[in-house]
Amino acid sequence: MFRNTKSGTALRNRPRGNLRILWLAIIILFAVLLIRLIDMQIINRGDFVEKAQNNRIIQTNLPAIRGLIYDRSGNPLVENTVSFSASITPSLLPVDEQKRYRLYLQLEKILDLPAIEIAKQIEEFEKKISQSGTLIIARNLSHEKALMLEQSTPDLIGVALEMAAQRTYLGGSSLSHILGYMGAQTEIEWEERKTQGYGFNELVGKTGLEAFYENILHGTPGKAITEINAYGSKIQILDEIAPLPGQNIHLSIDLKLQNHIAELLEQGRGEANIAAAVVMDANTGEILALVSLPNYDNNIFSSVNRDEEYKKLINDPNLPLLNWSLNPAAPGSTFKLVTAAAALEEGRATAETSYNVDSLAHEFLGFDGRTYQFFDWRIHGLINLTEAIAWSSNIYFYMLSCGFPREELPGLGDDVEQSAVTLSYYARRFGLGSKTGIDLVASESPGLIPTPEWKRRSRTGPNFAATEREWYYADTCFMGIGQGDVTATPLQIAIMTAAIANNGKLLTPRIATKITDAEGNLIEQKPTVSTKIPVSQKNLEVIREGMRQAVENGSATLAKIEGTQTAGKTGTAEFIASDGTTKEHAWFTGFAPFDSPEIVVTIYLDLGQGSLKASPIAAEIMRYYLSKMRDK
Amino acid sequence: MFRGTQTPQEWARFDYLLVLIALALVAYGLILIHSGSTESGEGLKISFNSPVIRQGIFAIGSLVAMIILSRLDYHALLHYAWWIYGITIFLLILLLIIGQTDFGSTRWFDLGIFQLQPSEFAKISLIIILARLISDRGGDLKSLKTLLFSLLLSIPPLFLVFIQPDLGTSIIFITIWAGLVFVAGATRRHLIILGAFFLALIPFIWTFGVEDYQIERISVVLNAEEDPLDSGYNPIQAQIAIGSGGLFGKGLFEGEQTQLNFLKVPTKDFIFSVLGEELGFLGAVLLLGLFLLLLWRILRAAQFSGDTSGQLLAVGIVTMILFQLFINIAVNLGIFPVTGLPLPFVSAGGSSLLTLFISLGIVQSVVIHHRAYRQN
Repeated sequence: MFRNTKSGTALRNRPRGNLRILWLAIIILFAVLLIRLIDMQIINRGDFVEKAQNNRIIQTNLPAIRGLIYDRSGNPLVENTVSFSASITPSLLPVDEQKRYRLYLQLEKILDLPAIEIAKQIEEFEKKISQSGTLIIARNLSHEKALMLEQSTPDLIGVALEMAAQRTYLGGSSLSHILGYMGAQTEIEWEERKTQGYGFNELVGKTGLEAFYENILHGTPGKAITEINAYGSKIQILDEIAPLPGQNIHLSIDLKLQNHIAELLEQGRGEANIAAAVVMDANTGEILALVSLPNYDNNIFSSVNRDEEYKKLINDPNLPLLNWSLNPAAPGSTFKLVTAAAALEEGRATAETSYNVDSLAHEFLGFDGRTYQFFDWRIHGLINLTEAIAWSSNIYFYMLSCGFPREELPGLGDDVEQSAVTLSYYARRFGLGSKTGIDLVASESPGLIPTPEWKRRSRTGPNFAATEREWYYADTCFMGIGQGDVTATPLQIAIMTAAIANNGKLLTPRIATKITDAEGNLIEQKPTVSTKIPVSQKNLEVIREGMRQAVENGSATLAKIEGTQTAGKTGTAEFIASDGTTKEHAWFTGFAPFDSPEIVVTIYLDLGQGSLKASPIAAEIMRYYLSKMRDK
Repeated sequence: MFRGTQTPQEWARFDYLLVLIALALVAYGLILIHSGSTESGEGLKISFNSPVIRQGIFAIGSLVAMIILSRLDYHALLHYAWWIYGITIFLLILLLIIGQTDFGSTRWFDLGIFQLQPSEFAKISLIIILARLISDRGGDLKSLKTLLFSLLLSIPPLFLVFIQPDLGTSIIFITIWAGLVFVAGATRRHLIILGAFFLALIPFIWTFGVEDYQIERISVVLNAEEDPLDSGYNPIQAQIAIGSGGLFGKGLFEGEQTQLNFLKVPTKDFIFSVLGEELGFLGAVLLLGLFLLLLWRILRAAQFSGDTSGQLLAVGIVTMILFQLFINIAVNLGIFPVTGLPLPFVSAGGSSLLTLFISLGIVQSVVIHHRAYRQN
């Protein structure tokens, strides 16, 4: 093939290669590299330095220790404990979708959490919350699961077992509605909170005091600037701002009283499914007990089988998650106190104004000339206003509120509608028909104080006939005895009662009385907040006297206790139950002692008669207060 | 042909400066390998598992190989060019059958303590066979037949390396061929025809010859941020390392990108990034300077060469080193697709180092023996 390979003479020809072309290539290629180096290292260095910083430096939140909650005697009602959770840092997961999913499947085995569910959570998190952060995918792991996860994490890069703070509630189920519980943030909540330094994985108060005082309990989170390597392991802490622990809340609630009342309601409720009780300081609005039955254990929200337990609660027809002391029902005869105050204040009656209620069915002539009947529960005979309160005469209060127009009895106003407007004015001054402003995050209802205007407005639309939006004579009458469309919450009835007891101060109820810092120094003392109601002291005295007589020898004698004079008013409100039958709510509201009122007690049971069922429970509570709590 | 002894004059012609520059590059590399392979603050471990020690041992072995080769008349290599070429092709075929597969490509024979990478040696065999061919055919490529024959000889090793797959090394084969063809003086007309032919071939290579991952790597160069955690990860981290190094660098063993493992393969393909980050622009310029000196010394040998074959050997070696260093650094700088080429003399790797020192041995041989073959 080649010539003369043996001697190699042909190889020995004169070199004549053009080496300049190589020099040219060298110069060009080196110039390209040099220019690019100058561009990167000198001109655009800043960009790369920033990227390098973002690579290795992460900022993490150091959550503050959450503040505690104490009852009025200083008993702790919550405790900070630790729970195990599983977290994923998506940026450390394999990029390949299939490899990722294989990892999710492994997690599914350990956590009993469907791989699809994990995949969805991670995708959402990466899309909406953070590309670089960590997401807790399962909380409150059982010990076995936590152990299994810990053993597997070395093989599952990006997955970690974390210890997170959680709340354990100490006081028992009777406090669950007051304390509330903690839960994960929604994206929307976090959008708002992240400016305050919240991490997405942090739990926040969802209801009750935990939610209302979230900002106080939460504290100020600290920050750690940490250097990490490419695998996400921490190398060193570069800078740290220590967190400021949350502040403590001290309640006016008395743990023992609260639990005692829960027991009393449980024992005394009979056929009632729902029961609520409010015990309030008559002069300051401090809540000593706020009980709602049925209740629930708020520790289930940090328990292993949280989801099942929660499902049970929301499927319970008696809605145990609802705080029934903040939910409305027809107040029945307890509302007669408002009617009495309105009549007295408007000059339509005095303590001595007497009517003869000599029949269980009072016949009267209606506007249309036909004869109608009003019923009472008892033949009272000739009674004055005080006695009418004491004996809770329906017919007497019909006479006060709507009157009998054809019998020269005008009611509260000049006509039926005006009477209703006047009554609603006083009801609102007593705090009915609007939220009390108690310091709880709960579904507090304003209740309802109807007016003719309200009826026209709310009954307009295709679902209502024209006759349905008319204000009738009977509407004013029923309103006068706390029936019809009137509703009020037990807490509203309690502040109304307090206003009567304390000579006219409408109090804003509150559960927290003071806030202290982690060292116990006083930060804030919550003041008493009240407004004056437009009822004279003399008139309030008349009502109080009626209430005293009710307990002494009237409709509420079962509330009577030995040794101390008390005052009260029962209520038995009729309502149409879901099965169509007419049933009754039982109410009692009163205060003790009569001479210088200290506490207000309001009881509500969804089924039963006030005088029979609610009064004895109230008596028990007053007895307990007077004997065990008075010195404190 | 073989000379048992070398005269003192011949030893005097030995290019000590060339060796010194090469050793300086190796030493530079050892420092960077140490930085890239150990946790910061950790001392050197005396163990064969330490990449620094391994590289040092390879360097000593390679130096010995170079000295032996420099004593050998390069015409001996040319004489056995066909044997060398044949054995190389055989090894490349054998590799595809029994070779070691890593990261989806088959590049090594696993020899226990040492992984032999035949494609490295194939570069030298290609240089030798082309030098032999061209000088046999009158020392130039004026005839189209010779030009096509040289191309034909380049295709088997190129193809065998390409299907390993090792795109980077196959590019080096092309540049070696092209370098020799240009220097040896092919006619302009032939080059234009060949160029047009190649352009026509590109779509077919793209469709049938290039793997998806290679296309992806090319597109990553065009837009590295597009897929930062996938194929773009390594070049992005490399650029961050180099760019953040600035003028003076962050200091040896102080580069966060390197020490916190953001930089992958920091002792091999991305060793330049370690340099760029820790020693900065000045360190990079020093490296480029050393390379420039090295290439100058080899080109000097090409100039000195007594005959065409010696000159073409040196030219082939210059081309090989030039493009290898250019492509490697360009990959680090994000202006070339990731190809997996080591940085000559600097990256950790025994086969590469041995091949490079063998090349230098050949260059020395060309320098030492140039008088004997000087044509008048």
